[in-house]
Formats: sequence, structure tokens, C-alpha cells
Amino acid sequence: MSETAPPTETPGTGTDHHDRLRAPWPRVLKVGVAAFLVWLVLFAPTLQHNAKVSPVGTRRTVALDILGPIAAASRALQLSRIVSETDALTGRTGNQPGNGSVTVIGPGHRHSPPPKKPGGGHGGPSTGGGGGPTTTVAGMTNPSAADPLRVLILGDSLGIDMGGPLQNDLANTGVVSATLDARESTGLTRPDYFNWPAELQSDLGTARPQVVVVMIGANDPQDFPGPPDVPYSSPQWNVLYAGRVAAFMQLAQSEGATVLWMGMPPMQSPQLSSEMADIDALDQRQAALCTPPVHFISSWTLLGTPQGTYAPFITNGAGQVVNVRTPDGIHLTPAGGEVLAQAVLNYLRGPLHITLP
Amino acid sequence: MLFPTFDFAIFFAIAFTVNWLTNPYPVAWKLSMLGLSYVFYGWVGWSYCLLLVATTTIAFIGGTAVSAAAGERARRVAMGLSCAGLLGLLGWFKYYGFVSVNLDNFTHALGIGRAIPLLQVALPIAISFYTFMALSYVIDIYRRQLQPARPLDLALYLSFFPHLLAGPIVRGNELLPQLRRRRDPRAVDYSRALWLIMAGLFKKVVISSYVSTAIVQPVFTAPAQHSAPEAIFAAWGYAVQIYCDFSGYTDIAIGLALLLGIRFPINFNAPYTARNLQDFWRRWHITLSRWLRDYLYIPLGGSSGSEAQTVRNIMITMVLGGLWHGAAWTFVFWGALHGLGQAVGHVRRRSRVRRGLPAVAEGPVRIWVQRFLTFQFVCLGWVFFNAGGLSNAFAMLGRALSAWGRPSPLVTPLLALVIVGTVVSQLVPAVRVERLQAMFSRQRSVVQVGVLAVLLLGITTFGPVGVAPFIYYRF
Repeated sequence: MSETAPPTETPGTGTDHHDRLRAPWPRVLKVGVAAFLVWLVLFAPTLQHNAKVSPVGTRRTVALDILGPIAAASRALQLSRIVSETDALTGRTGNQPGNGSVTVIGPGHRHSPPPKKPGGGHGGPSTGGGGGPTTTVAGMTNPSAADPLRVLILGDSLGIDMGGPLQNDLANTGVVSATLDARESTGLTRPDYFNWPAELQSDLGTARPQVVVVMIGANDPQDFPGPPDVPYSSPQWNVLYAGRVAAFMQLAQSEGATVLWMGMPPMQSPQLSSEMADIDALDQRQAALCTPPVHFISSWTLLGTPQGTYAPFITNGAGQVVNVRTPDGIHLTPAGGEVLAQAVLNYLRGPLHITLP
Repeated sequence: MLFPTFDFAIFFAIAFTVNWLTNPYPVAWKLSMLGLSYVFYGWVGWSYCLLLVATTTIAFIGGTAVSAAAGERARRVAMGLSCAGLLGLLGWFKYYGFVSVNLDNFTHALGIGRAIPLLQVALPIAISFYTFMALSYVIDIYRRQLQPARPLDLALYLSFFPHLLAGPIVRGNELLPQLRRRRDPRAVDYSRALWLIMAGLFKKVVISSYVSTAIVQPVFTAPAQHSAPEAIFAAWGYAVQIYCDFSGYTDIAIGLALLLGIRFPINFNAPYTARNLQDFWRRWHITLSRWLRDYLYIPLGGSSGSEAQTVRNIMITMVLGGLWHGAAWTFVFWGALHGLGQAVGHVRRRSRVRRGLPAVAEGPVRIWVQRFLTFQFVCLGWVFFNAGGLSNAFAMLGRALSAWGRPSPLVTPLLALVIVGTVVSQLVPAVRVERLQAMFSRQRSVVQVGVLAVLLLGITTFGPVGVAPFIYYRF
């Protein structure tokens, strides 16, 4: 840097090119609005779908009311085929959750031998007792680089926060091949937006996991869309949601994997925190009802105060204060994700008796 | 409110119409634009508007006090107090949590009790940008380069929605005069504006999103899981992602302002064609670079002193520039790395000049080597910029050096094409783009509508369902 050769040139105020014609603003408005309307007609079915999978409420209702007739016209005129054919050509059909998805297939998967199914197709006997079910991952107490433990990590945005550090820590052991499949803004309430059971079924086929780690639930306190809509926290909602959680847990176990379910942590907003506590309680109940039981790990005290309230900072084992939550009061910092990742590693080493370096 | 959303499209159609309908009536125009800008900002959370009001108030009182003060000492005191107030707000909201945690760990290591309370303060979006604009306003008045603005003008200058969330950091003498005069409603530079908006949307929605999902997120999330080629492509990919994200935002901002009859300074000028780091900072986030130069580097003494003093000034400027981006050691390290690189370049250039050589070696091959090496150094910096922590950044670098011979499923021909294509596209001469804009402006309306609709359709079809916020929003 120097004054004679400054680090930046003074920017111009745009290039004036005399060949470029200017136009009066009403014409610009007409061109802009007309282009927008043409695009709207062509893209209406996709927008309608996006509106359908958005949270239940006035905004969704209004959007569907407006987009319904436009999408119908688009379909009737075959205009929507332009988008659908393009999607088909580029393979962009199916379970598409939008941005923020992290899907990482561990390199070891390509070369992994087929999973050894434990007896009865389950993840091994549960001996119960202690703070939760105790079990072993059949045939996998001593994984090696040649025969690595296969772990599948699934989650929503908090699952991404935990899953990244966990996948990294597992990879660092040299004896685990971890697959992370986590999607922002997803959950079990809205399979119309992202179908987690379908995704899990697909992941079970490709990753062939021996351990499945799940952290899902932050986006689930919302109505089930109808008709009729099922309001969140109503008795019907609780029954419906418990059924979905149970089915998801059983699906995760269906190929013999041991399932670890990481609970949601307390949130800064008291209302959201209370909702997370309800979700956790429901998940924990369903985990205990599974055969064999799903291993529920509570993150409530790991990331909260000893009293179970929200804590943006915690003191780690080395006595250092670390910031574990992002300023939104919901998500985890990398240090927060690492706390949960270490909890999972400790669970693998402890109750699951897996030898990890 | 995010630019590439349905909400914003409707908002802007209203803003555009109101802008030109009220254009003949200056006060009504300013009030309506101010109101719309606050609606735009408040869309995220109304409480943030209070902070914008507070910043505007401090800048107004400060600017007026500096202008009215009798004597240089009083002017300096007024300027200093105003800057302290503005920086105090920024410091509280952006840096308190970072400082309190590090101070706490420091005092803990010394066996002393907690020095200050641990608090997590919510970071208001855009605070770094409008604080820097407010600082430049007060300092420019102190330097007698700017007259104090009327309250309404100042409020609109700081909050004008096209630049509000992530710049460009527009100077008072660039924007305030434009707010005072009427814009020509018969001559909207729409072809350039629409080009910028479409190019910005394409870069953000299609390229940045694709590269992020295809390689950057997976590898930066868990570097230990990935091979050396994947780590290297992730670093290159992030260079493309952040360029498309931030320059895409800036293009849209400049285009929107142009549709409203307002001109912003450019913020990017083919940064990955830079031949050295000094050149890079003349091309990347230009409005921040010149801010740091004019309000930090030169007041520190610039390059007018000894070589050691110049190196010190470069390091201070770049480290603080890094810290401006975020309250984390990774940003400090990133700034220091660029400072070190610039300092070495500075010493080398001076040495060459002393030996009677040109400051920078010339020649076609040398130029390409310089560009290549500069790009690699910039990518090295991006690793620290994007890593969640220093250990993660070093893990990335470790993988790039050691994890050879492993499968690299994330490195695909399409990814390589997108990365190379984006970097090479910066070599396209601006005159070609201008020709396209001119060609578009001469088409009939129906053709223009068709072209725009097809471009929009392409962007929305190839982009993801939802669009992630712009990276620079969080700064």
C-alpha cells in the first residue's frame, strides 16, 4: 500500500456507453412487469409446489390462492413442460430440499464389504440398565482401516452443525467411514417438503450403515398440512408425530443398524425451548419403545446450564469458556457441534463398546 | 429482505413505481424512499431499525458539531467523540462476545476472576456497512471534503435500500448530491441495470449455490473425510463461491439503484486477474479497500515513513480489515496473511525500483505466472476466511498436502468447468459486455420481455429451491 500506488483505484460511477439507449421509466416498468408475468406463468407450477411445502399459515394460503389458477393455466397450455422437461434432463426431480444440504458420502463406502447383518436383523441385544440401553454393534467392536465402521449421520440444520464435526472426528480415527446427509429446514412433520423416510431408505442402501446417528426435530413444531390442518401440539398432532418418529426409528434399524438419537438442545426463545423439550420427551419415549431400544442422547445439559436453560457459553473440560451457540439463539457454533460430536464418540466408545483410536 | 426472493420482487416493483411517481417532489421522494428502506431493513426484524436510527443520529449530531466547532481542537474532539460513538455501537454488537470470551480465558489462565460479563449480543445485519458509511461522513466533514447534510438526506444516504445490507460502501460525496437532484425519468439506463441484475442473480443463485453444495460445504464441514484434490478444489471453489456471491450481490445492488436513477461506484473489477496482492485489493471489494486506505492506512502514515513503518501500517490496516469481516481469529489470521503478503510485495517492489528495475516484472509469461500465484495465495487466505476455526483451516491445508492417492468423487468435470469458467470469464473485456447491453437496449419491447423471461426462467430452474443468504450479510 502506498499513496503513490494506492491499494484501490477510485471507482468510477459506472460506464457511460453512448450506444446504449435509455428509456422512460413507464416503458421500463412495462418490460419488467411483462417479463415477470411471463416467467410467472412458465414457473407457476414450481412456485405452487414451493408454496404447498411452506409452513401452514396465512402466507401459504394466500400464495396458493394466487398461484393455483396461474399454475392451472400453465399446465393447460403445456407451458409448465418447459421447466419439468428441463428438470428431468438435469436430474433435478425428486427429493429436493433446496439450499443448505450437505451430503457427503465417505470414500470408504465404495469399497466397503456388504454389512454383516446381526441375528434377527437388529442391532444387537440391549442389556438395558444405566442411563440408557446398552448394546454392542454386532461384529464391530474393533473396526479397522481395512474394515471400517460405517456410520450414517442424518439431520436438519442442527444436524449439520453437529454432523460436520462428528464426521470429521470419526474420519480422524481412521477406522470409521462416515456419511453425512443433513438438510436445512427439514424435519419429520413435512414429508411434502422433504421426505426423510424416503431419503433414509435410499441412504441405507448406499451407505449400508452399522450405526445411524440422527438429529432431527428443530423444524417440527408446526402444523401438519391438511385438509384439514392438524394444529401443532394438539392431541392428534402428538399421536401423528409420535407415529412418524417411531416409524423413522424402526426404518433406521431395519437393516440392522444401531441407532443413536441426539436430542434437541435448549433454545434462547423460551417458547421454542419449551417446544424442543416436548419434542425431546416424545423422541425419548419412542426411543425406549423400539426393539431394540434406540439410544437417546440428551443434548439438553451438554449445551445448557446445569438447570437446563439456554447457555450461549459453556466451560469445557479444559476449563476454557467456549461459545457454543450462534447469535440466533438456535444453531450451534463449530465448538458447540464439537461438544455433541464428542458426546457421540464417547457413546460409541462407552455403552456401545466400540474401540476407536 | 433478500434480493433473490418473491417478496423482494414485489417490494421493488412498488419501490420503482413510487420512486418515479414522487421524483418531481423532492421531499416526498426522500420520505418515501426512506420509508421503503426502513421497511426493507425492518423485514428482518424491526428492532434493527432502532440501531440504524441511532447510527444516523450520532452521525448527524457529530457532523453538525464538527462543522460548527470553532477551532481545530474542538473540531477534532467533536470528530473523535462521534467516531467513538459509532465505533462503540459496532464494538458492542459485533465484538463484545468475542472480546469477553477471549478476555475471560486470558484472566482464567492468569488465575484472575472474570473481568467482564459473558454476553452473547445479537449481531444486527449490515451494521458494519452503515457504520463505515457514517464514519466516512463525519470524517469527510472534519476534513472539509463534505458539507453537513440535512437530517432527511443523511438518513436516506445511510439507509438507501440498494446498498444497505452489503454495500457498496458509498461515500457521502458520491451519493448525497444524487439524492438532492431530480433524476431524469425519460432516460433510465435500464439495459445496463437489467444486465447487472441478471448477471448478479445468475452468479448468486446458480453458480455460487452449485459450487457451495457440490464441494465447498462438504469439504469445509469435514476436511478429514476428504482427499487432497477435494481440499484443493474446495479452496478454489470457495474463491468462486464468494466472488459470485458478493459480486453478484453488488451487481444487483448497482443495477437496482440504476433503475431508480442512482449511480453507485463499482465494487469489483475482475479480482482474480490480479497480478499481485496490491492489485487484488484494487479489484476486490473496492469500496472497502479505499475506505481502509483513506481512513486508516494513510492516517497511520501510509508509506511516507521508513520501510518498517510502512510494513507496520500495512499490517495494522489488513488485520483490522480482517477483523471488520467478523469477530473471530480466522478473520484476524486472514487479514494478517494478506498484510504479510502485501508487505513482502511492497518490500520487493521497492527493492526492484532501487535496483533500477520496474516495480513489477513484465512479460506475457510472467503476467500469467503472477496471476496464477496471486490466485493461489488468495485461495490460501479463503481457507482461513471460510473455515469455522483455525484448527479446521489447518486441517484443510493438511489434507491438501497429505491426502493424495485417495478417491475424489466430489471433483467432477462439471465442477472443474464451472470453477475455471468463472475465473476465465473475468478476462472478458468490458467492452463486449457493453456491446451486448447496447444490443439489448435497441430491441423491441416484446423481444426484451422474452429475453428477460427466459433468463429468469433459466436462473430459477437451475438454482436451488431456496437461496441461502449472501455471505457478506453477516459482516
